[in-house]
Amino acid sequence: MAKHILLLAALLSAGYAQADNGKTQTERTQDIDGFTQPLKMLQFNPGLDQREFERATMNALSVYDPLESINRRIYHFNYRFDQWVFLPVVDGYRYVTPSFLRTGVSNFFNNLGDVPNLFNSLLQLKGHRSLETTGRLLLNTTLGVGGLWDPATTMGLPRQSEDFGQTLGFYGVPGGAYLMLPILGPSNLRDTTGLVVDYGVNQEINFLNVPHESTRHPEIWVLGAVDKRYNTSFRYGQFDSPFEYDKLRYIYTEARKLQIAE
Amino acid sequence: MLRSLPFAALLCGLLLSASAQAVDVDPATYGYPLTNPFEATIATTPPEMRPLLPDDDDINQSDYSLKLRPEREFTLPANFWAVKKLSYRMAKQDHPAPLMFLIAGTGAPYDSSLNEFLKKLFYKAGYHVVQLSSPTSYDFMSAASRYATPGISQYDAEDLYRVMQAVRAQQANVPVTDYYLAGYSLGALDAAFVSHLDETRKTFNFKKVLLLNPPVNLYTSISNLDKLVQTEVKGINNSTTFYELLLNKLTRYFQQKGYVDINAALVYDLQNSKERLTNEQMAMLIGTMFRFASADIVFTSDLINRRGLITPPNYPITEGTSLTPFLKRSLQCDFDCYLTEQVIPMWRARTDGGSLLQLIDQVSLYALKDYLQNSPKISVMHNADDIILGPGDLGFLRKTFGNRLTVYPYGGHCGNLNYRVNADAMLEFFRG
Repeated sequence: MAKHILLLAALLSAGYAQADNGKTQTERTQDIDGFTQPLKMLQFNPGLDQREFERATMNALSVYDPLESINRRIYHFNYRFDQWVFLPVVDGYRYVTPSFLRTGVSNFFNNLGDVPNLFNSLLQLKGHRSLETTGRLLLNTTLGVGGLWDPATTMGLPRQSEDFGQTLGFYGVPGGAYLMLPILGPSNLRDTTGLVVDYGVNQEINFLNVPHESTRHPEIWVLGAVDKRYNTSFRYGQFDSPFEYDKLRYIYTEARKLQIAE
Repeated sequence: MLRSLPFAALLCGLLLSASAQAVDVDPATYGYPLTNPFEATIATTPPEMRPLLPDDDDINQSDYSLKLRPEREFTLPANFWAVKKLSYRMAKQDHPAPLMFLIAGTGAPYDSSLNEFLKKLFYKAGYHVVQLSSPTSYDFMSAASRYATPGISQYDAEDLYRVMQAVRAQQANVPVTDYYLAGYSLGALDAAFVSHLDETRKTFNFKKVLLLNPPVNLYTSISNLDKLVQTEVKGINNSTTFYELLLNKLTRYFQQKGYVDINAALVYDLQNSKERLTNEQMAMLIGTMFRFASADIVFTSDLINRRGLITPPNYPITEGTSLTPFLKRSLQCDFDCYLTEQVIPMWRARTDGGSLLQLIDQVSLYALKDYLQNSPKISVMHNADDIILGPGDLGFLRKTFGNRLTVYPYGGHCGNLNYRVNADAMLEFFRG
């Protein structure tokens, strides 16, 4: 009997202690020198159970990457190419063209890109998005003079990108082996397949006759590449870490999952 | 008459002490919207409350590089090729102007977002601006640091000073009227030590120095940061890790929104949605950032000094070598572990052995107390809810800096630096 009472008392006092704990959570303490002790707002794990960071991180670091050695070499190649060729060219492009022209070029290529966006929205049976992208294509190609202006965005139809890699992911195809593509950067088996399919579809539809023209005039293709780099804010070395390859791999994988889920 | 003397003395004393008191910004009139320190640290100021700043295209700036440690060309492995020279960024005015040096915070490169913000702010106000990496960053450790074991503030300041002198030599044709210095977070502690060094070396004769959210006791700060990943986060279980929890929240948030849109207001909007993060989750996120910073430091310092704690000495590393096993090993070592395993042994070997307490005393602001107290050119801006401070740290700052300290009621760690009110105060300090 005494044992029971003791247990009950212990339980009660434990409950009381917890309630007390809860109270200190909400009200802010202030020291005499004005310091508000922000860490007092937090609840910490008990000392023997403090491995969540390690557990989560080790878990996240396992990305399927059988070609890692080659991928890392390509990563370093891309890094150098970017610094010594690509970015200087983009800087030159920025230097010789006025900003409205650059915007026009970006709009033009974005408009072409809305063709695969529409195609893939349809494949994923996203009705609303397909309608919006169709609207964008119609408005920008007519009112926007072949896509040089982007009146659709100002009218509330933002650009929503979809590619065949996302379509495959939408139907449950896993990413497969991680790949670092020369110049194009991080990808995986699924998304590389997607790139090839999107390219084929573009050639097949031949919207505004640009895909066919650019096989005859590679300068259009080069301008597209420069414009793409101009609009991509990523810089090799921006993580400023010896482990940039690992971080990029994780972020790419998760970002694609996000794009597919949305 | 005689009886009133003590009163007069008391009155004088009160007046004097009042004149030397820190400027405490009133929470009611401050107007900073994020009263939660963790939210402020992560989200910083909502975009519409930031000052208007020039675009990158309107700034005359370039990146330059310095070759400071030529021997590293041969001693560093092949995959360090990008950091064998130290890069910095400089924005130049087209007329004679004062020059501002900016020092980045823990693990941050010269182009960290806060450094970029400060650059734009001061460039707009008519300064030449030089952005420097933190001595704790990967590139600085590899290309500019003599011992490549950051943490001893004195050594870090000497390395920084050498970099600044090299910058001045490289940019000798830029007409500079005066030199100024500012740093945030750990960069602010570095700035204090650099300013102290400049009093004897006299290369720059800094006219004014601003410390933004400096750590006071470096050991308190790193202990606080280490502790942040130990919070009890609800929703973590055997099948869901912390990252998965965050990404699931983000996915649901974007699904509700209808499209992916990553911009400056993302965190702010997320916190106003149903998927908002709890204090513990935000603390864990901040702690995670710092653990990755400490992993970089642990790995780089160990490798450059061939200590063999992470990478076996003479382990062949080429551009194709997987560093993932070393990343995994480095991630197990937090700041405290780095201090015990790498900084203290090196420091003891160089200084005939001292205790941890002595080290803490030497690398924290305490070491410069007299200098800081008697240098009217140095000011501090800090927050009452900064997560890198411990009890008594604000008191130390109040005593040491008097009315040269401004305490903001909110902002967490550096979250309010890009708030319009703070930006104006910084410009005002350098102007006045």
